[in-house]
Amino acid sequence: MDKKVVTFSKVVKEFDGFKALNNLSFSIDEGGLYGLIGPNGAGKSTAIRIMTGLIKATEGTVDVLGYKPQEAEVRPMVGYMPQEMALYQDLTVRENLEFFGKLYSISKSDLKKRIADLLDFVELSKWGKTVVANLSGGMKHRTSLAVALLSKPRLLVLDEPTVGVDPELRASFWQRFEDMRADGTTILLTTHYMDEARRCEKIGLINHGRLIAEGTPDGLLELTKTRNLEDAFLSLTRRKIVGK
Amino acid sequence: MKISRILAVTKKQFLTIKHDKRTLVLMLLSPVMAMLIFGFAFGTSPKHLQVIIVNKDKGSLAGQYINKIDHDVLSISDSTDVASSKDKVTSGDKIATIIFPSTFSADSSPTKTGMAPKGPVITPAKGAHIEVFLDTTNQQLSSVVSQAIAQAGQDFAKSKGVKTGISIDVSYAFEKTKDARYIDFFVPGIMAFAITLFTTILTLLAFVGERVTGTFDRLRVTPATEGEIVIGYEIAFGVIAAIQGALILTVALLVYNIMVVGSIALAMLFVILVAIDAQAIGILISSAAQRESQAVQFLPFIIFPIFLLSGIFVAVKSLPLWLQPFSNFLPPTWGIEALRDVMLRGWGLEHLWPHALVLAGFAVAFTLLAIFSLKRSRNQ
Repeated sequence: MDKKVVTFSKVVKEFDGFKALNNLSFSIDEGGLYGLIGPNGAGKSTAIRIMTGLIKATEGTVDVLGYKPQEAEVRPMVGYMPQEMALYQDLTVRENLEFFGKLYSISKSDLKKRIADLLDFVELSKWGKTVVANLSGGMKHRTSLAVALLSKPRLLVLDEPTVGVDPELRASFWQRFEDMRADGTTILLTTHYMDEARRCEKIGLINHGRLIAEGTPDGLLELTKTRNLEDAFLSLTRRKIVGK
Repeated sequence: MKISRILAVTKKQFLTIKHDKRTLVLMLLSPVMAMLIFGFAFGTSPKHLQVIIVNKDKGSLAGQYINKIDHDVLSISDSTDVASSKDKVTSGDKIATIIFPSTFSADSSPTKTGMAPKGPVITPAKGAHIEVFLDTTNQQLSSVVSQAIAQAGQDFAKSKGVKTGISIDVSYAFEKTKDARYIDFFVPGIMAFAITLFTTILTLLAFVGERVTGTFDRLRVTPATEGEIVIGYEIAFGVIAAIQGALILTVALLVYNIMVVGSIALAMLFVILVAIDAQAIGILISSAAQRESQAVQFLPFIIFPIFLLSGIFVAVKSLPLWLQPFSNFLPPTWGIEALRDVMLRGWGLEHLWPHALVLAGFAVAFTLLAIFSLKRSRNQ
């Protein structure tokens, strides 16, 4: 049996009486690439915020790498790339990385090497001294990914990592995700792009806070008797995908 | 709690300022601008100023003189002990002690000293005097006290037909500040006000900015605790406040030539304590704001109470009695009083430890509340 990195069991999250998550259950295998797919307001970001310990579930249990998400011990093991850039615009790329690296208590020498490796990985070595506000959108996305990877996380959580990213950069990102996965990193991502969802090892389709289908991309096509994931998605949600 | 993380937060804040030239300029110019604008600000007409009267007069004229004093302006308490009454002025409890000597009536009136063939021998009045022991560290209040005493003297002389003048011998509770001006009183007030205002605004906008841009969420998924984040910010803003305080003091010294009797280092300590309180208030308020535009709307709620009640323009003691207790809940009230006591009275921590303790207490309480408010959002 595969080792589980993330397990959601009957998780409910209420905001002022509204159930953003309604008995959501799913799990992610170690080393897997899991895509959480769903329309706007389905509860994807709420699930991610619970997984990263930013908010607490109202009911149910969540396990991340053997810990509750809000326990301090699990934080260095989880990398998080929020949907927005979430960078200090007035700091340089390197200063952003140094700051977050220090919060992870990475030693000075290790941090220096780690930053050099990451800048190389996201192809920003020449832009280390540039203030983030002066970078292009794509460069900011790459910087954000570098920050998420600082602590060499075992679980990488990516909330809509390719929204607003041009096709070339999207391809570049996916190559990096594959590389990380090859290194043993477990990845969870949310996306609106069905062609991206196709590249996930496993897909969880959520709507109205519930998991309505889960499986491999091929498995979902077979289940819905459709030819592409977009049709499968529509078949399962019975609604149009907003903005796509 | 790791010092490296705390210092990382502090250093990050300085780097942010370094790269944001507009904030840097605003941060340095704002206190100077405030100093120049408020330096010429208004005065007011204080009331209920607390004085002690020691009436040793063997006659009844001192009583009549006292009755002429405007009791709305001076709030009078009586004593028979000169030394303890003076101590109350020196300790800052009262503004003045007015002493009527035992010969006040005798010296005010012509007396019949014998009989001559043509009638009684009348000796002209020697001329009475009163002694006033005055605290001039608040020139606005001390001049009102002096005028009230002098006016009562004129009214008394007129009503009694006393032709000889009544001399007022003034001695000073704080000799070095006997020539203090309003600006000397005003500068410590505006220092604390400016530091409170700018620090609250900077912290408020910084924290709301962290929320808006998503960096706050990113901070909270790292091992950094809410306590480390808040204390890191406190160190950064404490240093900024000290720089602002130094700038204000420099302008005050160079442009207004203000008096600084006591320790500048101690004044800076109080400035930093005021700043720590202000930044914790800023963090607290930030939890109620989703955007910068919302945050700005909270500012009048901070500015006006501090502006009117913390003793910047009008000493708290001369506020209406019902308003005075509210002042005690404002950290700048304690900061302003302490700064004036340091700068004008030359007091040290041996006198001002209660003020430092109260400000530190506010800082601890507000810091804990700020940390709690950040932790609470995690539990939502």
